[in-house]
Order: sequence, then structure tokens, then C-alpha cells
Amino acid sequence: MRISRISIIYLFIVFIICLSFTVVGCTKVRSGMLIATEASLSSFTQDGVTDPGRYISGSRIIAIDPGKPSKIRVLTGDFYSAAYPEISYDGKQIIFSAQKKQGDTWQIWEMSLKNLRCRQLTFLRENCTDPAYLPGGKMVFSKLTVNDTVGTAHCLYTGNIDGSDIRQITFSPCDNFATQVLKDGRLLTVSRQLLPQKNNAMLAVMRPDGTKSDMFYMNKGKSIMASDPRESVDGRIIFLETTGNNSPGGFPASVTYNRPLHSRIDLSAGEEEFKSVLPVTSDRYLVSYRKSGSDRFALYEFNAETKTTGRLVFSDPEYDILDVTVAEPYERPKKLPSEVDLQVKTGLLLCQDVNFTGFKSKADTPGLIEARLIEVMGPDSTYGTVRVEEDGSFQLKILADKPFRIRTLDEKGQTLSGPCAWMWMRPNERRGCVGCHEDPETVPVNRVSLAVKKPPVIIPVHITTIKEKTVELE
Amino acid sequence: MKRYLKLSITAVLILAVVALIYPPYSRWARDHVNKITATTDHPVRCGSCHLYLQKPGFISKLVNAEYHSPFNLAVSEDGRSLYVVAEESNKLLVVDRESRKITHEIGVGVRPHSIVIDRGGKTAYVSNQWSDNVSVVDLASFHVKEALKTGNGPAGIGLSKDEQSLFVVNSFSSDISVIDLKTSSERKRLTAGNNPTGLQSSPDRSMVYITSRRTLSKPFDDTIRCELTILSDGKQRISARKDIISAYMMENIAFTPSGDLALMPVVRPKNNVPTIQIERGWMMTGGIAVIEMKPEGRIAQLLLDEPNAYYADPFDISVTPDGKTAFVSHAGSDCISVVDIDAVREIIAGSTDELLEQYAHHLGISSRFVIKRIPTGANPKGLAISPDGKELYVAEHLDDRIGIVSTETLEMKERIDLGGPRRTTVNRRGRQLLNNAGGTFQNQYSCFTCHPDGHEDGLVYNMASKDMGRNMTNTQSLRNIGDTPPYKWNGKNQTVYKQDGMRFSTVLTRNEPFSYRDLDALTAYIMTGIPNPPNLLYNPAGELTDAQKRGKMIFERTHDFAGFEIPVSNRCVTCHPAPFFTNLQMVGVGTLAASDDSILFDTPHLNNIFASPPYLHDGRAATLEEIWTIYGKTEEHGAVNDLTKIQLNELIEYLKSLRDPDYEDGSNKTLKAAFGNK
Repeated sequence: MRISRISIIYLFIVFIICLSFTVVGCTKVRSGMLIATEASLSSFTQDGVTDPGRYISGSRIIAIDPGKPSKIRVLTGDFYSAAYPEISYDGKQIIFSAQKKQGDTWQIWEMSLKNLRCRQLTFLRENCTDPAYLPGGKMVFSKLTVNDTVGTAHCLYTGNIDGSDIRQITFSPCDNFATQVLKDGRLLTVSRQLLPQKNNAMLAVMRPDGTKSDMFYMNKGKSIMASDPRESVDGRIIFLETTGNNSPGGFPASVTYNRPLHSRIDLSAGEEEFKSVLPVTSDRYLVSYRKSGSDRFALYEFNAETKTTGRLVFSDPEYDILDVTVAEPYERPKKLPSEVDLQVKTGLLLCQDVNFTGFKSKADTPGLIEARLIEVMGPDSTYGTVRVEEDGSFQLKILADKPFRIRTLDEKGQTLSGPCAWMWMRPNERRGCVGCHEDPETVPVNRVSLAVKKPPVIIPVHITTIKEKTVELE
Repeated sequence: MKRYLKLSITAVLILAVVALIYPPYSRWARDHVNKITATTDHPVRCGSCHLYLQKPGFISKLVNAEYHSPFNLAVSEDGRSLYVVAEESNKLLVVDRESRKITHEIGVGVRPHSIVIDRGGKTAYVSNQWSDNVSVVDLASFHVKEALKTGNGPAGIGLSKDEQSLFVVNSFSSDISVIDLKTSSERKRLTAGNNPTGLQSSPDRSMVYITSRRTLSKPFDDTIRCELTILSDGKQRISARKDIISAYMMENIAFTPSGDLALMPVVRPKNNVPTIQIERGWMMTGGIAVIEMKPEGRIAQLLLDEPNAYYADPFDISVTPDGKTAFVSHAGSDCISVVDIDAVREIIAGSTDELLEQYAHHLGISSRFVIKRIPTGANPKGLAISPDGKELYVAEHLDDRIGIVSTETLEMKERIDLGGPRRTTVNRRGRQLLNNAGGTFQNQYSCFTCHPDGHEDGLVYNMASKDMGRNMTNTQSLRNIGDTPPYKWNGKNQTVYKQDGMRFSTVLTRNEPFSYRDLDALTAYIMTGIPNPPNLLYNPAGELTDAQKRGKMIFERTHDFAGFEIPVSNRCVTCHPAPFFTNLQMVGVGTLAASDDSILFDTPHLNNIFASPPYLHDGRAATLEEIWTIYGKTEEHGAVNDLTKIQLNELIEYLKSLRDPDYEDGSNKTLKAAFGNK
């Protein structure tokens, strides 16, 4: 009897072990595999509903074993098009954008790398692209938005990972693509103004609730290419720039997270044939690159110190590699708190001194006319003119989720500078700036602005009172 | 069979009892934890409160540990020995550099702060901040020869050029003791800045420079200024007082060997600016003040921070013997900034006054003179450089270690373990969290930044809780607040859990909130680990002076001097009863400002109140007297209008005598040690 019991227990343990191995062995995509988007650029059809340079009909997501690159696994064989997957923090899922059938809009999907099962997360009328995971079971993505507020633009939205509670977080006539989540919890996105004229794209940063939107990096001579900017382990942001000469590729460059505006390193050695860059270690990258215009974009190793491409990792004679990431867990970004309160209709904006523009001495600019007024401008109308205080400060209570720009005026109402880039305030957001077009690396002077000694001016100026919830943050 | 049946029945009965008790107990436990933590999902862990929030006693001894907490250090002239001031264990540790072992542990006074060694290497002087004296240590026998009486809160310390006098900075009484070493007595007392701590002689030893932490008293919205006091070594008189504008927390100072520059870590707060964001340096920045030592020399301030990375709580600075490199310890960011001094010279030489003023507000300037950031252990404080300049020693305050950095490779090359407890207790973890800026967005500031030493920084902040210009608040002390909830001037937070929880992260740190594990640790430390210093200045032994006794009578009186009864609600003792001198109630005392919302205030406790200027919720009263002479004329804040000036002074004297109840019964270890060390 005793021997039988022991045998049963033994067999049970063996069964459990075998079952575990079976389950593990059945994992379809193992940790360390490369997950890439590939498409045939030469057969691209311009359907006009997505950014032609980024979302290609017929694209697909594949898994590549770096040890056996000849054997790939197509993960999205059931989709007409699928592209730009992002890995979950535990390395077990991917989130991506896909067309289930030809003619469908692009929607956000999630796939388990263990069993390749998919579920659709968004069911919206418009194209939803460039998803990324946010901490706390949420996601961010771009969605084509058409309304009077933004015109026609790809705005950013967040939502729960189950597709519920989708909320718009950007409210300017700007396209936002290729959003990544920085380690500090903020969103880094490739942003390009569309109205009143198209500007070069820049890297913009903001909190996941759409507050504190700011320029992270821009290069006046070049545009940021709509390719995922990536944060490396040694604190650099790697991205692609383009001269906009219709090449599908760009120049890799990097800046430091600590001081992005003044730390650019050109990684390209003059070549504009990169489609994506993924930092693996501080000096070893994986790049999608082609040697000439007649070649396909393929995966290569790249040495960031010598700025040279190295070993070919993977190529496909029929497809171009558009993007690559690695299926492995990584450190979750910070989950930032939100000051947004949707029961509040406005945000507060404080400027210390509209006449402060940076390192300019009054002696260097004799006859400098000081601004006495500012005009707050909407997309197609003015929101009003406001007198600034004696010290150049102003405090505005602005209707939330509406884009606006500000320009400074002299006493006679003549424009002195601006308008600035588009801004918006989220409900209950409080925000400050030091001056107008000031050096973004300038901190405020430690003084009490005259503007905070009075109630804020309501914008648009024709509104005299706003009934909204009073929030006490403390 | 019978045995199995009995066992089965017993098991079933036990399960049934558990099934009956567990659900209601579970609900009660959930409600109990929700109430204590003011959250709804804090894990139900009894130990979080019932183990780690214990007052000193048997359980507290079990769960806590005594660390050394190295604070400052000095190196022997031959470079063979390190003398480490162990703040928490009240010792001077002598460490052999070669063997990396502690050779001697010398008991000094309470909360030792700084050390200076005479030229012959025979005697060390250690200031004891909570004993009001200096331990004189014979370095041959490694014994304390005598204790020299100082002012209140001795901190920075230095020898005169002729080594006949000892200069001691008294941080609590804000003055400088000049001690005659022949007679071992204080010869004179000189006024310094507010809460001075650092002291350093110029390279030619002609002048002594004393740095201050707190700002000079100014109304809110005035430009803050912090004093750098300059003392003539020979004349032993104050030679000059320089105001460092828009800066405070100037803990230490160092000179280039040539004497052309003095360098001082500073913090540049933005307390006058509404606290609406952290991005772009809107709350705190840190840097160095650079003082040109030539006649009419300028004072420049250069930020050490970067646009997306901040280096909180700069503490100490050391300069290599060749004068080329300075090292700044960032206690809040666990790193050291390496400064190219030649680059600093170049910046200053090539800049107009206006440009220098801009540089004090520019986050990019550090890229021109900071060569490297060297990671360290927890809370790096004091620095010292070896005589040959090849090694930099770092007191890793909350890791109980000395880090050794190669000044050539600028890398941490080894560490000396001081033999403190191996485990990190919950309380210790809480202390590390309070002192580390990692919980704040981009590491801009730590709790310590506004609450240095768990106290308060003496500033009034525009907290922008509702609108931007309303409800200014005076920073409150965290010392021994475990028994005096609720918290904040408006009493909104019933527990420290709530104070440091989600709302704290939304409004102040603007970063991911503390995990519950870290929140428990932080709460444990705040509730039990931050004692008040003994009130050696006004009430050292619990025996009130005659004036204080008369003041006490006024404080406790029920009738005014005309014989009229004072309404119960307006008697001092009603709202401020012992032992904490707060009734823990919300009250209005006629101190609302036009910029305040109409609220009541949580009655603050008055323990060690002498050490917390300015006063009232918005800090408008620079002194205790002003609470009534300027802001209390309506008699809503106690009945005082019948008092003569002398009687008011006596009331003030009594208030100044108030000390932590932990010191009242005479058995307090700290107090005994403070006196025993005299």
C-alpha cells in the first residue's frame, strides 16, 4: 500500500513537470526573439487614409529567432495588414495596429506571444495607429480626428487596455505619431504642426493625461521622421531625421534625455537609408537599413560608437523591414499621477514675463519695445486681448481642451512676436512659463508675479463667469 | 479508526469556527486599515503599524537597529587614517585606510556633526550638535580629554591660524563661539547668519567663512537671502556679511588652493512661484555659488542641474590640491558632481553681471563645467580628499559606508564598511526614502529639501492648491509629529499615510506614488524616527527660570490681570495643553489673510517652537512676539492686550522653554547623554 502511494505521488510530480515543459515548450514566441514589421515598399498603394510613409497595406508582423534567422514565424497571418508592435512590460504580449480585412480601418489589437491569440481593443470609425502600453493597464495611440477643434489631425488618445474609457489627450492641429513611453512616464511623440502651415516634425513630450505638453527636441534644418524614437539604457533618445526629400529612409541621430536640445549626435555618417533604430546596449543597435535605393531595408547590427553598420541579422528578399523590437521584459515606466479633473472646464496658465526671451541684455537690444498686451488666438478666431501686468506677467483661465496660440502686442496692438506654437490646457491643468519664446532651459525667477495677486483672466474674454467644480489639490 | 474520526471532527470544528469568525474579522480589519491609512487598498498587514510604529520600548528595539550614519570625515596628514563622525552612534570612528578596518571607536557627544584635526595630528575636535559642546579627542590615546562648552547646536568647526582658538558654528543659536583653547572656555560669541552650519578658513588662514542654511527673515514675496559670514581670524571679529541672493541651504564651503575662488553648494528654491509644475525647474534647483576672492569680486551662482535631470540637496564640496577639480556631494540624488574649476573660471571671467544672473537660472550651464556624475551609496554627505589628492572619501550617510573615489579615473573604486547592522530596517528604509529625491519627478527635490533634518526650511510656499495666488503656507516641522494628527495647516490629512500618499504624488512629487511598502517605511520613520533635539538653549534641565515660570502662569491663566475671566476658548492652555501643546482641534484665531480661503487651522504643537520661525500658517510673524504685537491685536489668538511688554516677554520666554515631552521625565537617554558629555 505504501509503495503504491509513493508511486502515485511520484507519477503525479512527473506529470506536473512534463506538463510545465510542454506549456513552456509550446510558447510560440520566446523571450529574446525579434518582432519586426515588414512590408513591400515597392508595392505600396496610397489609400490616403494613413500616413503613407508609415502604415503600408499588406504589412505584417513576424518573429525572428536571432539564432536561426532563416526561420521566421508570421504572427499576423490572419490579418490583411499589421504593423508596429510594442512589447508589454512583462514581454508576454504585443500591442499593434492592424487591418483585419482589406478596406478595414486600422484598429488596435493585442496578441499573446505565448499562444498568438489576439483580441481587438478598439472599435472606432477612424484609423487607430501607433499604440503603446502605459502603466496601470492602459494604452496610448494615435487616431485620425476630424473636428473644428483640430481640423484633420492624428491626435493622441488613451484608454484602458480592454478598450474602455478612450479619451482624447491632445487638442491641437498637429499630427502625432510613433509615440513611445519614456522611463519617466511621459509620452514622447513625433509631432508636426498642420495649421496654419505644415512645419517640420519635432519630438514632443507630455504627461499621459495630455498635460505639460512641451517640445522635447527639434532640429531646425531637418524634420523628425515618423519612426519610433527609442530610449537607450544609457539615457539617450535615438531617432531618425529626414530632409524630406521623398526618401523613405532617414538619418539616425541621438540626444541625451538630460539635455536633448543641445546634445545631438549624428549617427548617420551622411547616409539617409535607415528605417528604424533600436538600441540594444549602449553602443549596439539594431537598425533597419539598406545599402542603396535598390536594396530592401533589412536588419543589421549597428555600432553607435563607430557609426557603422555591421553584420546582417535578417533580410527578406520580398519585404522591407520597417521596424523591430525585442520580445523581452523591461522596466516599467513610472506611472504618473494625473491632475486632470473632467468636472473642471478650464486650465490655468501663468507666464512670468512676456518680455523675457532669453539671454538678451537690454543693452544689447536698445529700443526694445516691451509688450503690453497679448492676444490669445484660436484656430479660426481670436479669443481676446489681455493686458499684461507691469512686470510682464499674465494669468489666464482658459477653456480646456481647445487649441490656442499667443502673440505679444505693443500698446497700439501691433504684433511684437508670435504667435507661439499651439498649446492646449487640460481640465484643471496648471501650467507655467518663464517668458515668450524663451530659452526652454530657463527656470523661473523666484518672485511673486503680479498676475497671481489677482484672479485670472477668463479666456475667451467674452465669458465672464464659468460654473465649474472647485478643486483643492492639497 | 476512532482516532481518525476524532481528528476529522476536530478539523471540521476548527474550520467552522474560522469560517464564522473570518468574514466579520476580515471586514473589520479592512475598515480599520482603511481608516488608519485613509486609503481603500492598503494591504491588511498588522505589522505595518503595530510593529514599526512602536514608541521606544521592547518591540521597537527588536525591529529597529542602531546605525553609525557617517556624516562628516577628515583625513590624517599622512593619509593613513580616516576620522569618521558617526552621527547616529555618537562616535568618532578611526579607520585604517590600508586595512579598511575600524581601529578605534571613541564615544563623543550626542549627534556629532563635524571634525577638525590640529596640524600635528595630535588632537581632534568634534562638535556635538545635541550636547552643546565639543569633544576634544587625544589621537594618541584615542580618548576624550575634555568637553568644551559652546552655544546651541554646534556644527561646523575650525582652528584659528595659530591654533590657540577654536571657532565653532552654533547652528541652533545662529552664532559663533570663539573658544580659547588655553583656558578651554568661550572667549566671545559672534552673530552669524540664520542656522549656520559650515565653516572653512581661507587658504591663507586670514579669514574664516561661515555658511548658513536658512534665509534671513524677510516677508513672503521678498527676494530671499542667505548670509555668508566672514570672520577675521586674527581680530576674531566679523569682517563682512555677504548676502547670497535667492539661495539657501548653504551647508559647506571650500576654497581653491590659490585662494582665488570660494565654492559653496546652494539650493535655489522657487517658493515665491506657484507650485504648479516640476518640469523646467519650477520647484527647486541646486548649484554652486562661486565667490571671487579679489576686491570687488563677484558672486556667481551656476546651476548643477540639467533640463531633465536634477541633483538634489548638494551638501559638501571638496577641491583637489591642484585646484583643478571640485567634487560636490548630492545627498538627495546619491551622486557626486565633478566640477572643472578652470571651466568655471572661464565662464565667470567671460560673463557680464547680467549674463551671470541668467546663468543662475539656466539648466544648460552645467554642461560647460560638470565633467561627470559619480553614483554613490545612500545619502552622500561629507567629503574629504587624501593629502596626495588621489582619493576622495565620501561619507555614505545612510549606508554606513565610506566610499572611495579615484580622482584620476573619477570612478568609485572601493568602499569601507563601517560595520553597522547588515539589515535595513523598515525605519531605516523610511529614512533613506525621506532623504532621497527618487520619489519626485526627475529627482528635483527630496522631502529633506523642505524638511532638512526632518525639521522645516523656514520658507513660505505658494502651494497653489486652488488658485495660484492663494493660501500661502509655512513649512511645518516633521519632528515628533506621530501623536499630533491631523496634518497640514488645514488639517486635511488625518494620517501620515494620507499625507504622503496619492494626493502628495499628485500635488508635490508629481511622480508615481510610493508603493505601499515604501509608504509604510516612510510613515514609520516620520512617526517614530524624527525626534526633537533637546532644548538646551532655553530649558536644558527642566527647571524653568523665574521669568519662564511667570510666563507659564500667564500661559495657564484663566483670568486677566484686571480680574476678568478669560473665555475658555481664548485661553492659551485650552488650545495648547501639554504635553504636545495642541488639542488637535481645528480653530480660527483671526489670522486669515486676504489671500486665504475661509478655513480653520489645525492647532500646531508648540514643542521646540523656538526653533521654527517664522510663525503662523503663512509665516508672516517673523518672531513669536510678532504673533501678538503685530498680528494678534484683535485678541482672537489668546488674551494678551492687558499684558505689559515685560509680561509678554515672559510669556515668550515660557514658550521658548517648551520642549519635547520625551525629555520631560528626566529619563531620556539623549538628554542624559547630552549632559553626561559635559
